[in-house]
Amino acid sequence: MIKLTECAPAMQKLATAWSCSSFGLRVGRHGNWRRGLKSCRMLSSSTATASADATEDQVLRKRKFAPHQAADLSENLAGQLPGQARVVICGGGITGASVAYHLGLQGWGKDTLLIEQDRVGGELPWSACGLAGRFEPSYTELKLAEYSIDLIKQLTERGLPTGWRQVGSLNLARNFDRMTAFNRMKSQAVAWGMNCEILSPEQCKEHCPLISLDGIEGGLWIPEDGVCDPHLVCHAFMEEARRLGVRVVEHCAIKKIHSSRGKVDRVETTAGDVNCEYFVNCTGFWAREVGTLSKPVVKVPLKAVEHHYLHTKAIENLDPNTPFVRDFDSRIFFRECEGHILAGGFEREAKMVYEDGVIPLSQAARQHPPDWDHFHELLDALLRSVPPFRKAHLDRLTNSLQVFSPDCKWILGEAPEIQNYYVAAGNKTMGVSASGGIGRVLTDLITNGSTYLDLHILDISRFLGLHNNRKFLRDRCKEAPGKHFEINYPFEEFQTGRNLRMSPLYPALKAGGAVFGQSMGYERPNYYDQNDKKDEFGLPRFRIAQTRTFGKPPWFDHVASEYRACRERIGIADYSSFTKYDFWSKGNEVVDLLQYLCSNDVDVAVGSIIHTGMQNPNGGYENDCSLARLSERHYMMIAPTIQQTRSMCWIRKHMPAHLRAKVNVADVTSMYTAICILGPYSRILLSELTDTDLTPKNFPFFTYKELDVGLADGIRVLNITHTGELGYVLYIPNDYALHVYTRLHQAGQKFNIQHAGYYATRALRIEKFYAFWGQDLDTFTTPLECGRAWRVKLNKPIDFIGRSALLKQREEGVKRMYVQLLLNDHDHEVDMWCWGGEPIYRDGVYVGMTTTTGYGYTFEKQVCLGFVRNFDAEGRELPVTNDYVLSGHYEVEVAGVRFEAKVNLHSPNLPTKFPDREREAYHATRDKRDQEDLLSFSSNLITTNNNTGMTRQ
Amino acid sequence: MWKFLINDAVAYVRGNVRDFSLNALRLLPQLPQLSPYDVNLVLRENEFVYNFPLEGVIRSYETNQLGSNSPCEDSRTEASLLYRPNGFVCGIFDGHGGAACGQVVSKRLLRYISAATLPRQVLREQMEQPGGCTSQSFLKCHNDNVDFVNEIKPIYEHSFQKYIKELIEMPERDVASELKDAFLKLDESLSNEALTSNDPRTMNVALSGAVACLVHLEGLQLHVASTGDCGAVLGTLDPKTNQWIPKKLNQEHNVDNMQEVKRILSEHPKGERDTVIRNGRLLSQLAPLRAFGDFRYKWSLDIMKKQVLPLVGDHGMPPHYYTPPYLTAQPEVQHHELSVGDKFLVIASDGLWDFLSPSDVVSLVGEHINSKKILEPMRIPEGDITLNQISEQLAERKAGLTRKPVDQNAATHLIRHALGATDYGIEHSKISYYLTLPKDVVRLYRDDITITVIYFNSEHIAELRNEYHPPTLSEPDSPLAA
Repeated sequence: MIKLTECAPAMQKLATAWSCSSFGLRVGRHGNWRRGLKSCRMLSSSTATASADATEDQVLRKRKFAPHQAADLSENLAGQLPGQARVVICGGGITGASVAYHLGLQGWGKDTLLIEQDRVGGELPWSACGLAGRFEPSYTELKLAEYSIDLIKQLTERGLPTGWRQVGSLNLARNFDRMTAFNRMKSQAVAWGMNCEILSPEQCKEHCPLISLDGIEGGLWIPEDGVCDPHLVCHAFMEEARRLGVRVVEHCAIKKIHSSRGKVDRVETTAGDVNCEYFVNCTGFWAREVGTLSKPVVKVPLKAVEHHYLHTKAIENLDPNTPFVRDFDSRIFFRECEGHILAGGFEREAKMVYEDGVIPLSQAARQHPPDWDHFHELLDALLRSVPPFRKAHLDRLTNSLQVFSPDCKWILGEAPEIQNYYVAAGNKTMGVSASGGIGRVLTDLITNGSTYLDLHILDISRFLGLHNNRKFLRDRCKEAPGKHFEINYPFEEFQTGRNLRMSPLYPALKAGGAVFGQSMGYERPNYYDQNDKKDEFGLPRFRIAQTRTFGKPPWFDHVASEYRACRERIGIADYSSFTKYDFWSKGNEVVDLLQYLCSNDVDVAVGSIIHTGMQNPNGGYENDCSLARLSERHYMMIAPTIQQTRSMCWIRKHMPAHLRAKVNVADVTSMYTAICILGPYSRILLSELTDTDLTPKNFPFFTYKELDVGLADGIRVLNITHTGELGYVLYIPNDYALHVYTRLHQAGQKFNIQHAGYYATRALRIEKFYAFWGQDLDTFTTPLECGRAWRVKLNKPIDFIGRSALLKQREEGVKRMYVQLLLNDHDHEVDMWCWGGEPIYRDGVYVGMTTTTGYGYTFEKQVCLGFVRNFDAEGRELPVTNDYVLSGHYEVEVAGVRFEAKVNLHSPNLPTKFPDREREAYHATRDKRDQEDLLSFSSNLITTNNNTGMTRQ
Repeated sequence: MWKFLINDAVAYVRGNVRDFSLNALRLLPQLPQLSPYDVNLVLRENEFVYNFPLEGVIRSYETNQLGSNSPCEDSRTEASLLYRPNGFVCGIFDGHGGAACGQVVSKRLLRYISAATLPRQVLREQMEQPGGCTSQSFLKCHNDNVDFVNEIKPIYEHSFQKYIKELIEMPERDVASELKDAFLKLDESLSNEALTSNDPRTMNVALSGAVACLVHLEGLQLHVASTGDCGAVLGTLDPKTNQWIPKKLNQEHNVDNMQEVKRILSEHPKGERDTVIRNGRLLSQLAPLRAFGDFRYKWSLDIMKKQVLPLVGDHGMPPHYYTPPYLTAQPEVQHHELSVGDKFLVIASDGLWDFLSPSDVVSLVGEHINSKKILEPMRIPEGDITLNQISEQLAERKAGLTRKPVDQNAATHLIRHALGATDYGIEHSKISYYLTLPKDVVRLYRDDITITVIYFNSEHIAELRNEYHPPTLSEPDSPLAA
């Protein structure tokens, strides 16, 4: 308030004198008077350097993984620690113990060392629920869990204390979709060899009389599931491991993991150095931090969240054989445990702890006070679901940590950054169910280089650097735990950590109505919806694709219209997320390398495109890619989006030593934007924007050219679409991307060009019987099994990886075959849809599973792609022949209902108003090698490329 | 004179059309919108909390300050009295015409009082100690980060020593008289220093002014000495109705206070009736009717002509300045004996009272005490408890969670309410507008706000009053007894 009025100028005069003489007051250390602030800051800055060092020291000390007990023990330990071990396992939790045990079983016990910063198994039991269950969303996870359970049973039979009791697990459904999910599970269970049963609400009550049937629609009963004490299981593993010769050193922390020539070489611990060949990071909560102890940093994207377990006091007359009950829709579970109830749940939004990532080392320090307000929702759900618990007395609510990965799946496998560095982490709350299987597969990988299951969905190479960003993890891992109990809908998307990786076209596509899905962080339009695409300010809205049903999806009509545009007019799609690598060398080394890695012959005329697999020694697909020969010694590789980290890893690992220094491999994914134009008018459209002659004679199908488009130059154009439609994929340097897109879109208006999303291109390729890596093809599928034998050149003059396995398979015949099934009598409006993973029956006998499925808009039928096998009466696998496949009567079981199906062995020719000779001739999936002769363009290619002096081999 | 016009306009705007102007301001698109994070940073910049380590009548105090002037013209000081167990003194000082007087008084007044309220015997003993004693010997300040510069310090120290010598000679009086005397003696020192020392800074202090509200507490005896228009209000919980009752512990000395106006008119000749107070101001210039400093309204015409006008020019003389002094620093002192129901005391500068009434303030702080319990994690009582009971308790808490305050600090809570309260709760954009107003107009909309909230320890008060009863279940849950 202004209280003085008149003498203002006089005051001003004085005030000037004032400020010069620093105002009659001296500023002390923490001056909070504004006038004091500046000088105070200056003052403290002089001492800042000293204090900053101190704080940095403190942070470093926290991160250095000093053993939390008795530093003086380290000296005593020095004698215990061997200077040499083949495998060093870091982390004495249940996973580490299991890995140690399995290595022991393989006879590596004497060469294995396990170090633990605290004590093996931790001090406090019951910071987990101890469910040994197999209700997992994928075949791989289910098989790993199943193995773990069998192993626990085995240990129990051998007299080791594990707390194992086979009480069965009861899974409750409160809505129709959950029931459908159970029915799908039941259908799959037959195929996966799992025993389970669908229950009516009354039957649920018979299994567990405690529950209230209010709102229960039914249940799924898994009789062979059980409960155990994770603490005891961990000690059992460890005891067995010790018996098999594994050395275990407690109170010894890891300080550094050294590598040389990209391989693990030596680890530094608080008790001394150990030379080793393999390092296994099983450090649970700290796996991400331990990842930072090597150079380069191994990225283990994990985030700890709070997780509560409720223990009641002993309850009288509680049946010790109460099953493990999971009420998914209420987000809660409970079990009987030593005469009382142990309950917990997965809240919708998890609570973060240790956001800086520094987690205390001692278990006591990690015990947080329980947050009752946070647990309230779950407690109420529990009491609603099981009314008798209202009267139960509280013993304790514990708040322990659990770690989650950004996609809520386990993380295992060899680190992409350092060879022989293995990681097994992110076991969520399912450590017991996971550990046995994980121990086995990791041991297989270490001792054999391969294992009995396809692990790509759990492999650590599914991540990019962005997934390891602390802030990304903080956002995403709030959501991830909740997903654990949510219905596993098809194409489920995360809501957090979005708008992270976007092509330059993103704003234009968003304005065009795109609804996005995320793949490797990339926002990829899944479909386009013109309704409600703007927010209240008239700006384009960011929308996330949702399916949220097992029946006809809400996007059906949008995709139908995009599909028709691609088939009849012209569609424009964003392929930017695809993995793009450049390979080049000075001499011919790049050809040598690719000939060694790829099963197809890559030494083709410059300008050709080759589809090829990169096989593993067993002939399975490690990668399925397209190679464009840009120049004699320069190739560009296009691979599925999810291969971005993985294929680099594979290539590095299998690069022959003599080529290592000479071939350059660069990941250029983020440098190019990929636009695909597809449909009958795509050639006319592109020729309007470029001077180059695009007639098939000059620019045939399956070739590459560098073109000028619009006003831009240097655009890599591939005359393929990965969908079976005529069209081009343009790989455009990012800075030209919007220009080229705008030109294409403008010029395309007269053809009524339409945006096409991922779902539309997927529908196209499924109908055309195109296999995709990661969905149809995996590390256990060979080209011979999926109708791609014609892409394998067994006679090329190099012993490429997997050649001998493929030769052998050619002699013996394949045990499974890739087929296309068209469902008859399936009403897409009312019946449940196929979403992959449906069992296939041949003459009433289970023969295999579908992989990818979709609606064929031309066939107007559900189209399933999948593999069929041939089992004899004893369950042995016999070779599968074309006659066998074609002679059967097929059915596909969708959520408990079987539909009759017609089988195809090769890509069909779809009726079209725009016949195209080349395209008709090309069949992605074929049963006969001689069909290759139908590729009439190959002769054209030689003539057009004569001037380069290249001839085909 | 256009300055008068402007000031009248300012008064008019601040008094009557704040709401209207705020609406008009919303139409100005150029004001940046602050994020809630930024708002918190600004509001919490000057927060301070002190919890008394020893069992005493005062449990803790919370204080905060939000400046409008630059530099902020408000000051605050809190200190424990030495040699007096449980003695506490704190004050709020609202300066005007510059921050100088407020800052100087805020430090020195507490020192004067710490000496004045000591028994003479103790004072004498301390004086006889080798090395004697300094102005800071009798108190311990809690949030004190600054000190006077070296040139000024000896001048002030000299005045203090003179004051103590006078004190020792004087007989011991009651606290109220000692407080009054300390106020006047300090004001006298300011005058003498300005007139006798050569340092221009002392003159600057004397020409700027400050109002003060000072709380002195010893045992159950609470004294509030106030000069000017700061305010102190006591929050009492009525144990029967569980309602918060505000009790004002001072009278503001401004034109709204009829007694005060009468006093001033009676002290000057009848002929000056129309000029002494004009436009709601003393000599049509000064809003508070009592203040420290402001010697342009106290010194004789002679001093003004000889020492002031040469420095500041002829217009430094207030209009119609005939029979000085017009202004005094003499405080009004109210005494209150604490009872069990007294839970807290709020003292604040007029920046707060412009927005909130004493009863608003008491109910806001009262609610804040209750809801602060929700900020703490729930503790399950010992012994058997069923899950159902827990669930019910959690549901109750959950109902309270919606009222969970954003601020831990009650002073910040009050500032947030002062700036952001609307009929439908706290409006972030309103606070943001108040905080982003341009420097040259911000004073029209809000003054500096300084608040100190002192929490009393009811159990200790009860013990002292010898009427301690352990709380029974039938008694309503008293917020501070938990």
